[in-house]
Amino acid sequence: MNLTQELELFPDHTVTQMLFKEVKNAAELRQSAVDGRINGALINPTMLVNPFQVLVAANKAVHLQLIGKMKTRSLNSEIIFNLSPTNNISEAFKRFGTSDGDESVMLVVVHCKNESQLLEDIAAQVDGRQVPVEDVSWLSDLAKIRKLFKVAPQEETCGTLLDAVVCRMAIKDVM
Amino acid sequence: MTPDHLVALLCPPLHNPRRRRGGNMAPEKSATVPQFLRGAELVKQGAEARVYRTQFLGRPTIVKERFSKRYRHVALDEKLTRRRTVQEVRSILRCRRAGIPAPAVYFVDYTSHCIFLEEILRSSTVRDHIASTQQSASCTVQELDRDQDRELVQEQELEQLAQQVGQILAKMHDEDVIHGDLTTSNMLLRRSPEDRGSDLVLIDFGLSYISALPEDKGVDLYVLEKAFLSTHPHTEALFQKLLKSYSASSKKSSAVLKKLDEVRLRGRKRSMVG
Amino acid sequence: MTVVIGFEGSANKIGIGIIRDGEVLSNPRRTYITPPGQGFMPSDTARHHRAVILTVLKEALEQAGLKPADVDCVAYTKGPGMGAPLVTVALVARTVAQLWGKPLLGVNHCIGHIEMGRLITKANNPTVLYVSGGNTQVIAYSERRYRIFGETIDIAVGNCLDRFARVIKISNDPSPGYNIEQMAKKGSQYMELPYTVKGMDVSFSGILSYIEEAANKMLSSGQCTAEDLCFSLQETVFAMLVEITERAMAHCGSQEVLIVGGVGCNVRLQEMMGVMCDERGAKLFATDERFCIDNGAMIAQAGWEMFRSGQVTELEDSWITQRYRTDEVEVTWRD
Repeated sequence: MNLTQELELFPDHTVTQMLFKEVKNAAELRQSAVDGRINGALINPTMLVNPFQVLVAANKAVHLQLIGKMKTRSLNSEIIFNLSPTNNISEAFKRFGTSDGDESVMLVVVHCKNESQLLEDIAAQVDGRQVPVEDVSWLSDLAKIRKLFKVAPQEETCGTLLDAVVCRMAIKDVM
Repeated sequence: MTPDHLVALLCPPLHNPRRRRGGNMAPEKSATVPQFLRGAELVKQGAEARVYRTQFLGRPTIVKERFSKRYRHVALDEKLTRRRTVQEVRSILRCRRAGIPAPAVYFVDYTSHCIFLEEILRSSTVRDHIASTQQSASCTVQELDRDQDRELVQEQELEQLAQQVGQILAKMHDEDVIHGDLTTSNMLLRRSPEDRGSDLVLIDFGLSYISALPEDKGVDLYVLEKAFLSTHPHTEALFQKLLKSYSASSKKSSAVLKKLDEVRLRGRKRSMVG
Repeated sequence: MTVVIGFEGSANKIGIGIIRDGEVLSNPRRTYITPPGQGFMPSDTARHHRAVILTVLKEALEQAGLKPADVDCVAYTKGPGMGAPLVTVALVARTVAQLWGKPLLGVNHCIGHIEMGRLITKANNPTVLYVSGGNTQVIAYSERRYRIFGETIDIAVGNCLDRFARVIKISNDPSPGYNIEQMAKKGSQYMELPYTVKGMDVSFSGILSYIEEAANKMLSSGQCTAEDLCFSLQETVFAMLVEITERAMAHCGSQEVLIVGGVGCNVRLQEMMGVMCDERGAKLFATDERFCIDNGAMIAQAGWEMFRSGQVTELEDSWITQRYRTDEVEVTWRD
């Protein structure tokens, strides 16, 4: 059910995504993440079109961390920030981070290879039902995504919504 | 928590003894990308960039790596390389917003001047397409009627292509994107999955910029005209078709085409003393 | 053996050279030099050429140790260039051709530069960067033409340098370009200037108007020195030239570069082009001021090639033209 992808550019870093529905302890999880007890990024899956979006954000976060150019304080918060089309940090957390009442959560962990125990420990903290990460597309709030990323219908004639979203994420620092 | 601290936490030496300590991370800079590219397939060594084909986040990806030119003053080189990387991704987004196909951008590394782009699958350059169509047409000149029919079909196909190019450039100019390096090598013809027709994709926006001036658009077409006619001999009529289609598709074409005429004349009228 | 005498006077130099089968027998030249801050006007230039042309002709014959009877053909610059000086020189060429009973040959000035460069450097099939006061072109040979792949879309690079020299009153002796080059060696601070490359074309008018506007302000405020400006201007415009040359090479798959024209003897330009060639594994060919700068031998050399391939110009066709593109000439002497 987990989706694991090694970052080709940074072979020491692997990204694992885990999707949970019917989550009952979102507020508690969020607090744990803030306190550093959960070493992962908690993302609102309704703002995701596809898990690829998370990979793009995570890759960029690791890159910026290595060159010392992160805009936020931690790798996990940087992943959330990178998902947003704007450079406003609090806005990014509001839209893309988990909020207290959320019923679904995408948990993203950047780790070394073969750390199944670490992943299990983190997942165990979620009180919810884990579903395949691919199911995220069932949760996507496409209308909201289109509005936030300002994707006009004509853009989707030459590419997918995912491409439109990813492009803005990749380029936002020079717009 | 500092980034270094976090990396150390994520990957404690206990789990992976070969892992360097967090404190050693800083000097690593972004040599990671060039290092990664050494294992990628080099598809083109251009005048100012190398183009690689690779997998990135599990997807087929093209990486364009701008390298520094030693003949340029360091300050100028750094400025140009950075500016062109930025201009390239900005123009791509602007085109895509307007529904003009251009490869999606996945990642940009401004320290090593690398752009990671969607690989346009099932595509060939317009340059190769015209060349191969012309070649197969000329082979058949002295053959049977059937082949002459084929030649006619090929001619119509090229005209249709020229029309498509005219349309897409009109749309691009109406968005005030000046490509800056229009050639038939910088346009890809992408076949649709079920082989039902094909669409054009614009690439290589390194010399692009935003301008509403008819002069800049006229020069853009002038650059294409010269590249087109020098790359594909005996295509004057085909290029006229392209301009006609541009003119029909763009809202502001008359001022642009007037400028194109002016720029052409400037070439011939220049005093050339000395 | 074929001996050709060449008359060149399309701009502010008047030169007469004699070539015998690839050997330069003589190549005397005079330059019309104007005071700082001034360019050369057509009528004054023509007057200068008229005053010295017979002296130069005598020198050319004497240095070559030839008599008029030894000459097989009289070549002259047909264009492009300034009308009045072109007419002056063509008139003399026509007159001596009739006096000596020799055939005439009208030569394209740009082709003269290219053929002289090929002769001196032995470059085989180079991409040519032709840079002078009136021309900025990247040329490659294909199918009987010297085709222009890239060029300036407004003013020539030499014109840009000359006009900059006038703005900050640099001496025209021996040439503004030479003096800019010497001053640039003492400059160190790189000032940002507009950089305009469009495909394989370049534009210099933006740089010129920027520097015309800003130069004196920057100098009087002490922001930079005149030497810094010379340095920055050279670094910028030469980088543009090297860039379009490299683009043309990539386009044509060429591995040789030949630099010709008055600006081509600038050592910094040659150095930058050399670095580019090194990086591509290509070879650079350049000549010094004797042959880069307008001279008579280059017209003689192009004339020699044309004459040997069977061309002559009838008297009634021996006119001149101010505009004469390099790609108008059918190259009858190359495969």
